[in-house]
Amino acid sequence: MKNLFFAGVAACALCFSATLASAQTELSRNQIINSLQGAQEKVEVSADALQRAALENIQKYPGADSPQTIPMYQQLASLRQFNIEITFDFDSARIRPESYEAVGLIADALHTPYLQGQTFFIVGHTDAKGDRTYNLELSQRRAQAIREALVTTFQVPGSTLFSVGLGEEQLRDPADPFAAVNRRVQLINMGYN
Amino acid sequence: MKYLLSAIAAGMIFAAGMTAQAQTVGFADAIKILAVSCGADIDKYCKSATLANNGIGQCLDQNQAKVSQKCNADRTVVASLIAERLAAQAAAPELCARDATQFCKGVKPGAGHILRCLLKAQPSVSEKCNTAIDLAGYR
Repeated sequence: MKNLFFAGVAACALCFSATLASAQTELSRNQIINSLQGAQEKVEVSADALQRAALENIQKYPGADSPQTIPMYQQLASLRQFNIEITFDFDSARIRPESYEAVGLIADALHTPYLQGQTFFIVGHTDAKGDRTYNLELSQRRAQAIREALVTTFQVPGSTLFSVGLGEEQLRDPADPFAAVNRRVQLINMGYN
Repeated sequence: MKYLLSAIAAGMIFAAGMTAQAQTVGFADAIKILAVSCGADIDKYCKSATLANNGIGQCLDQNQAKVSQKCNADRTVVASLIAERLAAQAAAPELCARDATQFCKGVKPGAGHILRCLLKAQPSVSEKCNTAIDLAGYR
């Protein structure tokens, strides 16, 4: 317990981005709970299979942009979910200090009875800038980094969390492929085991 | 000596202040506290450490001798407040078992249904269970 850290928000202490954060729509634990709770149905999709499907999408439909949605991903559309912006160092899976609090809020939500015992996908997405395969791998490493932060620093049981990176294969705003809304982390409640 | 005493006093006030408000803290609040106490140290000693593998915690441990006294002290306090919250979360179901039977008859356990019921029944719920819910950070 002693080496527990959770974080000094390094950049925050300097730039006072706490003010910035609250100026934007302030994120709360209960917001995350409300969006994620109430899993009803069960969808038989494994994180590994979804990850493979994303790679196959690139192989099957090569080119600068993804022309096709992944059918397996569409199956998840009706599930309880929440989109959150987590910022990373450029071209890196290092979570930026200003996002530590957001990851902490996810952890606090996952530690409540409303969400305990359920399984979650942590799905990383990029915008369409750059190479598709590169984006896929980067988003995969970033989703993995969030999972590791939750499991280590924030003590969420690892057996309930699966990470997937979909790169730019599933843009949130296909009409504006470089838009910031495309860069997001999607938490999806996969229901009870 | 005078300095040392005032440092200890300051530490006690910090701890007391926190206990008075919250008694336990969650992870997001912990980060807010440590951002202030350890931000400068992390910038100085742990610039490339990551949150992913508990790297920042390990880095602060390794640099304990250099890290500011306030950061070291607050980390200890915050760590114990988090430990207390997790322990309170683990203990809450049992501490509230009697109230659950009494006030939440027919409520299906799981998915937070019992908790939701107990929160609604707060005025009737026993002090023991209400305190357990407070310490677990469930309100």
